[in-house]
Amino acid sequence: MNVEIKNLIFSYGKVKALDGVSIALPDGAIGLLGPNGAGKSTLIRILLGFLRPDRGEGRVLGYNIRSEQNTIRRYVGYMPEDDCFIPGMDGVTYTSYLGQLSGMPRQEAMKRAHEVLYYVGLEESRYRMLETYSSGMRQRLKLAQSIVHDPKLIFLDEPTSGLDPQGRIEILELIKDISSKKDIQILISSHILSDIEAVCSFVVILDKGRLAAQGEMDKLKEIDYSMFEMKLKGSTDSFIDRLRSLKYKIEEMEDRLLKVYMPPDRNVQEIFQLAFEEKIQIRHFVKSQTKLEDLFAKVVGVD
Amino acid sequence: MTIKEKGYAHWDGKLEERRFNWWPITRLGISLTFKKKFFKFTFLVSLLPALIYLVGIYIAERIEDFPFIESGQADFLKTNPGYFYSYFTQGSLLFIMIAILIFSGSGLISDDLKHNALQLYFSRPIKKSEYFLGKISTIFFFIFILTLVPGIVFLLMKFLFAGNFRFFVQYPWLPLSICAYSVIIAVFLGLYTLFLSSLSTNRRYVGILIFAVYFFTDILFGIFNSIFHNQYFVLFSIRWNLKQVGAAFFQQKGHYDVPWILSLLVLTVICGLAVLVLHKRVRGVEVIK
Repeated sequence: MNVEIKNLIFSYGKVKALDGVSIALPDGAIGLLGPNGAGKSTLIRILLGFLRPDRGEGRVLGYNIRSEQNTIRRYVGYMPEDDCFIPGMDGVTYTSYLGQLSGMPRQEAMKRAHEVLYYVGLEESRYRMLETYSSGMRQRLKLAQSIVHDPKLIFLDEPTSGLDPQGRIEILELIKDISSKKDIQILISSHILSDIEAVCSFVVILDKGRLAAQGEMDKLKEIDYSMFEMKLKGSTDSFIDRLRSLKYKIEEMEDRLLKVYMPPDRNVQEIFQLAFEEKIQIRHFVKSQTKLEDLFAKVVGVD
Repeated sequence: MTIKEKGYAHWDGKLEERRFNWWPITRLGISLTFKKKFFKFTFLVSLLPALIYLVGIYIAERIEDFPFIESGQADFLKTNPGYFYSYFTQGSLLFIMIAILIFSGSGLISDDLKHNALQLYFSRPIKKSEYFLGKISTIFFFIFILTLVPGIVFLLMKFLFAGNFRFFVQYPWLPLSICAYSVIIAVFLGLYTLFLSSLSTNRRYVGILIFAVYFFTDILFGIFNSIFHNQYFVLFSIRWNLKQVGAAFFQQKGHYDVPWILSLLVLTVICGLAVLVLHKRVRGVEVIK
């Protein structure tokens, strides 16, 4: 386990940002999900060594998050969400400079900078001043600087934000390729669930500073609930209210389509029985393929 | 097969734990300064005072070769601590240093703040102190070229032109004074510039601030002094505080009858405030939003 934290507690004054979070992340690509204010950024700040937790212990790449923060930062890469660069430099000088700051020898850093810029698709623009880069190119550049020193663990914060669909696919391909190396772990924090679904095999979901779910994506999607899509005919209000009173979660979609999350202790017959009692016709009833979106909706709430 | 087709490749080197992590930051600061428009010209001009004083040392030692120089003028060229004091505290040199600071220092932190670059630094094994040291060393480099380096060159040239050690025996403390005063100027101007650079995300405003604050304090002193006729208002002026301290370090009489230690205290307080503001403005913890 490259990242292992136990009972992490951290507060900003009276506001508890993390409340007893314990996670153990396996190798590969891991998705970090949660609504705004869930504690994702605080968790990354702690893992990068910017914040000392109030309580709890943790190790990143085997280094203590309390006492070996500088060493942790030497071996991790970080791709920030914000547009960030150092003006007055060209792409290759910039990437090489950040490699040097990570501890690479100057010449090696320059050589490696060329390689990673080729890798992320900026070979043609590596001698251009950064001020002239488009937002898509800057996004690639951020990825390049995060991998220039060949980190063992990479934090990617919203890696596809601001990219056009093709650029997004390409960045995701690169991330997949990097994470396919057995000895590199990637932690992706993103609001775009389909990105996480496309790249990650393991997911951690935070909600209000607490761990809402963690595990292999496929297993998490299977566990303890089922989801159906249905279309009804008749007066549906009372039927929906009765389902909700039985802890079903119901989301109204377009075209009078309903998405129904069925609790684990219920069964499908019950839905038909209720429809019969409420004199409702069920015109369409399909067991839906569960997506990460559904899992997310389930653990942090449909709303 | 291109690298993209090969896929991600590992780097087979080893990351070093450097003793001077701040050095790449300094090197970048210096190289970016030299890339700025008009800087090379300004930099060359800034070396003129040193060149003129160097010629002065030569003439003073070979005065018999210059019969057109009258004895009164020759006294002015006499190489003694006063000569060094005159070089180090002349208004034109301080003015040139301010101009150099505008080129080299105005964007040091403001650019990082504007382009969110702090997170790039602090997500690497760089401590805040190393970040500041790297930035301030850029300023040290340029200030030392105008103070410490000429001071040492003057001493060496004096020795070469005189051909004896009499000067060093007479003023054994002078090399130390040159070093100490150069360090004081560099530290003060370094912190002054970084402090102002951290106040805005616009390097142009910072450039104006560097220039304006320096002259405003001088004007303030002039106004108060002319109204109240009290020399202690000299403590308001950055330029005069530097001169007063310089006078003490080169064992000269200050222009104003105000204890030099008070001037040093004022400069120290400004440096202290600058450190506090820098500490507040540059925070690694806020880099991830």
